[in-house]
This record gives sequence, C-alpha cells and structure tokens, in this order.
Amino acid sequence: MEYFLNQLVNGISQGAIYALMAISYSVVVGVTGLITFTHGEVIMIGAFASFYIFQFVGNNLILGFVASFIASWLIGMVIYYVCYNRFFESPSHISLICTIGISMLIKNLAQIYFGPNQKPMLNVIDNKVFRIGVLQISMIQIIIVITVIVLAGILSFFINKTRWGIKLRTVSQDKKAASLMGVNVSRTAMIGNCIGCGLAGISGMLISVYYQTLQATMGGSLGMKAFSSSVLGGLTDTRFSALGGLAIGIIENLGIAISSASFRDIFAFGFLILILIIRPEGFATKKGARP
Amino acid sequence: MSALLEAKQVSKHFGGLKAVDSVDMTINKGDIFGIIGPNGAGKTTFFNMCSGIYPITSGEIWLDGENITNMHSEVIARKGMARTFQNIQLFKYMSVLENVKIGFHINTKTRLWDSILHSSTYKKDEKLAEEKGLEILERVGLTEFKDTMAGNLSYGVQRRVEIARALALNPKILLIDEPAAGMNPNETKALMEFIKKLNKDGYTIAVIEHDMKFVMNTCNRILVLSFGKKICEGNPEHVKSDKEVNEAYFGKGILVREAGL
Amino acid sequence: MNELFSKIKIFYEKHKLISFGIGLALLLAIPALFPKSYIMGIIDRILLYALLAGGLNVINGYSSQFCIGYAAFYCIGAYTEAIMSLRLNFNFWILLPISGIFAATAGLLVCLPTLKLKGKYLSIVTLGFSEIIRLIALNWSGLTGGPMGLKGIPVPNFFGIKIKSSISYYYIFLGLVIIFLFATSRVIKSKIGRAWLSIREDELAARSLGVETSKYKALNFMYGAFWAGVAGAAYAPYTRYIDSTFFTLDEGFNILSMVIIGGMGTLIGPVAGSIVVNLLTELLRPISEYRMVAYAILIIVMMWLRPQGLFGASNSILSGGKIKKKEERRKKKEVVV
Repeated sequence: MEYFLNQLVNGISQGAIYALMAISYSVVVGVTGLITFTHGEVIMIGAFASFYIFQFVGNNLILGFVASFIASWLIGMVIYYVCYNRFFESPSHISLICTIGISMLIKNLAQIYFGPNQKPMLNVIDNKVFRIGVLQISMIQIIIVITVIVLAGILSFFINKTRWGIKLRTVSQDKKAASLMGVNVSRTAMIGNCIGCGLAGISGMLISVYYQTLQATMGGSLGMKAFSSSVLGGLTDTRFSALGGLAIGIIENLGIAISSASFRDIFAFGFLILILIIRPEGFATKKGARP
Repeated sequence: MSALLEAKQVSKHFGGLKAVDSVDMTINKGDIFGIIGPNGAGKTTFFNMCSGIYPITSGEIWLDGENITNMHSEVIARKGMARTFQNIQLFKYMSVLENVKIGFHINTKTRLWDSILHSSTYKKDEKLAEEKGLEILERVGLTEFKDTMAGNLSYGVQRRVEIARALALNPKILLIDEPAAGMNPNETKALMEFIKKLNKDGYTIAVIEHDMKFVMNTCNRILVLSFGKKICEGNPEHVKSDKEVNEAYFGKGILVREAGL
Repeated sequence: MNELFSKIKIFYEKHKLISFGIGLALLLAIPALFPKSYIMGIIDRILLYALLAGGLNVINGYSSQFCIGYAAFYCIGAYTEAIMSLRLNFNFWILLPISGIFAATAGLLVCLPTLKLKGKYLSIVTLGFSEIIRLIALNWSGLTGGPMGLKGIPVPNFFGIKIKSSISYYYIFLGLVIIFLFATSRVIKSKIGRAWLSIREDELAARSLGVETSKYKALNFMYGAFWAGVAGAAYAPYTRYIDSTFFTLDEGFNILSMVIIGGMGTLIGPVAGSIVVNLLTELLRPISEYRMVAYAILIIVMMWLRPQGLFGASNSILSGGKIKKKEERRKKKEVVV
C-alpha cells in the first residue's frame, strides 16, 4: 500500500510534466490547426539547451528555464517556416509529412552533435526528501508541480486577457476571418506555435532534471506522450489536455507498480487506445471538438 | 399517391439555436417538391438531416414506409435516397465517367477475390458500370465530357455531373440542393427542362432553390421555411398568395390607412 | 529521349503481352548480370522494400489514411514466420499467407477504434501500436527470445532445393513483388479501388453515394498490413536471425520515406522510391550517420517542390490541390473582367 501511494506521488509529479507537454501541444495544434510530429524533438532541444547552460554557465535553475524556452522558441520558428507557413491552404497531409521530415532531421543532427549516448543531467536542485507519514516527496517533485501550475496560470492569463491572446484565439478559430479583421495571420500563428514550443522546451528540461538523464533520442516517446495526453483532452482544449497528461502520468506509474518498468509505454498507449474506443472525444465536455 | 419521404415533427438544435423546428413534410411519389425560404431558414440543414449527415434532435423521418431516423448516410443512400450538395462535392481529380462509376457502388457486388481473379461477378459489375454509366451520361448530355477531369469543368456542367452521379444510385428519391446557384438564365432554363424530364422518367425529386421563377415553374408542391419553422406548404398558387410567405420575404408592410396617415 | 519513351509506350500499348514477357525475361536475367552476392544483396533489399513500400502505399496513397507505424505489421509477419517455423516446423510457403493474415488481423484491431475519427488519429495510434509491438517483442522473452532475438530460422525448401543464396532469394522476392503488383493493380481498377479513391478524394461525397467508408477503410488497412506481414515472413528466413531492433519506428519512417519520395497513389511510385532510397543508402555509406539527415532533407524538399513524389499521382488530391488554385485564379480573372 505504501508503495502504491508513493507511486501515486511519482505519478502526479510525472503527470504534471506530461500536462505541461500536453498544454504546449494543444497550443501548437490549436493555433496552426495541423497535427505535428516535431514536438518530441522540441522537448529534446529544450532539455539539451538547459543541459549545456548548466554545464558551461552555472547551476541556476532560472537560467535553465530561460535557455530552454529561448532555444525551443527558435526551433519553433524554423519548424513554422518549414512546415506550416506555406501549407495552410494545402491538404493537411503535406504539412504532416513535413513535420515528420523535420523531426527526422533534428533527431539525427542531435545524435551527431550531442552524441547518441545517455548523458547524466547535473544535480541542479538540492534533493531533499520530505516525509509525511508514509509518503516520500522530494524537492524536485514539489518544484515541478509548482512550476507547471505557475506556467499554466501565466499561459491562461495570456490567452484570455491580453491583446495578443485574443489575436491567437481568432487565428485558431478562423484564419481567413482573422486576416480580414486585420490580424497578421502568419506572424500570429508563428508566435503561437513558438509559445507552444517554448513551453515544450521547459517541460523537456523538467523531465531531464527529474530523471537526471537526457538523450538525443528521448523525443520519440515523449512526443507521443504529449500527443496522447492532448488527445485525451480533446486535442485543442488546454485545460482538458493538462488533465489528460496527469492521467497518463498516474496510469503509467501505477502500471509500473503492478508489473515492470519496461512496460511503461505499453500502459500509456494502451490507455490512449482504450479511451479512443470508449469515449472518442476524450475528456472534453463539448462533443465534436475534434478538428 | 403514396408518401415516399415523410418528416414528422423534425427538429435540429445547434446548442441554443433552433435551426429546424418541428417541421412536417410529405413528399409523394412522382412529385417535384420545392423547398424555399429566405437565407438561413434551415433548408440545407433539413436536407442534411433527411440524408443522415446531421443527427436529428427530435422527430422522425420515414422513407417509403421505413423509419430512417438517425441512420448513417451510407445506409440511407442504400435505401434509395441520393443527393447533391450546395457546394459541389465532386471527385475533382477523376474523370466524369469515373465519378459516375462510383455512383454504382451500391448496385455492384464485387469482392476482393472477385477483383483479383477477374471472376464473372467482377466482369458483370464492370460491364454494368461502364454501360449504364455511359447511358446516364448520354441522358444527361455529358457524353462529350466523359474523359474530362471533373474539376476542370464549368460550374453548370459540374452540377449536372453531380446529378448524373446521384442517378447512378438508381434512387427512389433525389434531393437536389440549390442546383441553379451561380448559373446564368440560359443554363437555369436548361436545368429546369432537365429536372422536368427526370421527373417524367419517373424520379421523385426534392429541390432547394432560391430562384422563385425556377421553383414556381417546375415544382408541383412547395414547402416554405423561415427561421427553421414551416410557414406554408402547398401548390405554387397557394404559396404565392399566402400572407405569411409574403411577410417572410418582403417584411410586414405598413398599410397607409392602418398607420393613420 | 522523349521520342524513345513515346515509342516504347506505343509498343507497350500494342503488344502488352510481349512487353510483359520481355520485362520478365530481363528481370529473370538480372542475377546472371550481377554474379556478386554483394550486389545481389542490394537488389534483394530493393525488392523487399518495394514490397513493403507498395503495401504502405495502398494505405497512405489510395485511401489517404496515414499509417506511420507500418513496421509493426512487418514485425508481426517476421515473428510469426520465425516462431511458427522454429517451434511448429511449419512450411515456409504456408507461413507466407499465414503471417500475412496475422498482420492483417492486427491491422483490423488497430484501425477499428479510429474508424470514426479523422485520419490523423489513426496515424498516432499506429505510431503507438508500433512501439507497443516492439516492446512486446523485446520483453516477452518466452515467445520472442527477448533481447537475444530468434536465431537459426530454418531456410525454405523449394521442391527439395534449399534456398540459401541471395540469388535464390531474389526470385522469391521478385515473385512476391510481381504478385503484389498484379493483385493490387486489379483491385485498384475494381469497385473496391474506386471506393478507396472516393474516400481519399472526398469522404462526405463517398458516404452520400452509399460507400460504407468504415468498411472500406478497414479493408484497405488490412490489405496493406497483409503485404507487410508477407514481406516480414519472407525476410525472417532471409536473415535467419531477427530481434526487436529491426522493427523500430525508424524502420517505419524509412519505409514511409520511400513511399513519399517515390510517390503516393501510383503503383510504380513505391518501387521507384525503394530503388532511389536503397541506392542512396549504398552511396551514402561512407557518411553513414548523415544518411537519415539526407532522407529528411529529401522528404522536406519533396514536399515543397513536388508533394506527390517522383512518380506520384499528379491527378489527385495528393498533389496539393493544384486544380483549386487554377479555379481560384480563373474566378479572380472573372471578377476583374
């Protein structure tokens, strides 16, 4: 029982990271209206950016946040101009294939320049463990959960209250109407895409700090987790996507508790497929929310 | 006269909006049935409900004595209802003949093995699709375009291709959504003749149209919708003289005497 | 050059059977021209991947469902053959269709939950499925040998002749590719192929014409998965050793890139894609780590310049809606006039 409770705590903190990935993914999909396969690679770039900053500049968590945000923002710009900008009017499979292409490109370049092996992440956070009854909660887990909540709050404020947020929402709903109202669709969509990518980068940093390792090929399964969580939440709704991420994190860790760690991904994808069968619209309350 | 397509108290709500609100309709065998109404009256929504593209909020739809409420559109097509779309939905990159051949889908029975081994079923089906397809094109007057890519044709011709494709289903009833939209007066006139001819060949036709002249001259019964509600149903003379219809189209006039001037 | 092509084309139209015969004779004679087993090995790979890419093209190109984790079905086929021939001593020739049917059943299981959703979800589910299958192959040591893989897969027998050399495998792969092309070309021209194409071009219209889109999408997916299973079953005794690292997502991407580069929606496209990509692999061997980078750039360039691929169907929605543009231009002109 103790073990299960602790796995639940692990699940929640991991789920928080997945939630951030899912939020960032649904921002990207919401703004561009097209599914992307590059998200895992963006996450990986964020992780490596913070890794190099920690190694060469210093163990400063805030600096790591900024570095991973900026690095993945820049990658987001590249992705935007290669995959989306020209293809809003074309059939959607073209940009889909482009994202597959650029994801292959980033992954393989990263393997060449960062090395194919696992690297140990530096110990940025003083890893204290708090004990509450039978529960063990580490400092890292607390920081992760707080970070994710704060970032989600900032994003929600940005989208709902600011001028730029309103522009983003118009673009995500109807690009033609937005452009008729004088919104620069291309630039707004790019910024929305980059915000999503930046958040993904931060989540990449968080997960590599949490597990204390990172690897050039880590993007593949993480990108799919981000997608699965986002699908669980109805794909474009950020709040439900966060919920989906949390659910996948918990399911994974509880699944590990009853079997072995090598089946981690099987639980995540199995859960996704199950949800798609039972309730195709995910957690979202609105029916027909699928793009 | 037996009822072919019947709608009983059909409603469709999108959230709070009542796009179609408890509409009754009866189309008899052999009718050319017109559905008219101002923009946004719910005509196309009504068609989409009949052909199973939208689920129905409440009410029932009966086709030839069979309840087809909320069936999938492919099942309804199999039961004998064919339709065309307001914004033409042709297979743009296929030739006209291929478009029509796809219409024969429900009337052929080829299976995977038949097609690989070229069995007798396959040969029979292909012969049917080819011959009947050409026959339909002949009847619609599109033989000259049979190898042209559908997307390259002019608007009016594309409309006719869509109708030809629907005819390939050999339907009991044919729903045509705004066939004359974007046509010039000559094309409209030809279309009128064409629809009358189809009717004479034995097809029951329901048509949505904005062009009053078109509707009044071709249809023998007319349903008028306004803001989702049925305001009138009857023959053209009846509809023309109906007060509510005139109000829906032209607004409530203020009689000089009533205003007290 | 063009004259030559047109002459060949006219000749082909006139004497279909003769030209098929000539082509077949040329293909059969290839082993005599390249006696080196190294070159025959490359040609074997080209044929194997032509089969895989062709099967994937049936899914991606003809009904525009977008399958990415195609390696899963390849994996299922290979493991089915390996396990059944090792444990149950089944005959290779019987195992070819059996593996195909196993893969097709798996394909049905994958596409059932996503039939009601838009195609993008199928892509992701195939991706997840591919990982699940690989993980099962890696972790179910009792059945699949786990990380050690399966060794010593028995070689097939052809009327008493043991098939071992790459030349004899050439004939097996060639036979499979020819059967595949023959069957698929016939299916495409039938009612079933038309239904697939109508789903690709406009699903709403297809449904209004009575095409049961769910049924035909599932059939399409199973047909494509079947050939992956067959290819896997032919591949297992060819290498005589398989483990889960052969069937990663990258393998799926590799097959996908062949389909995209060669062209979706035509029969010749994937074959061309397989030739191009496999020859590139050989040419780029000195800079092997940049190989995937080169593919990636090739894919992006292809999408920018020629979305339908080298030999893809230009008269389809796959080519990026060119007719639409023409129409819009015409409409603009009319407005000006």
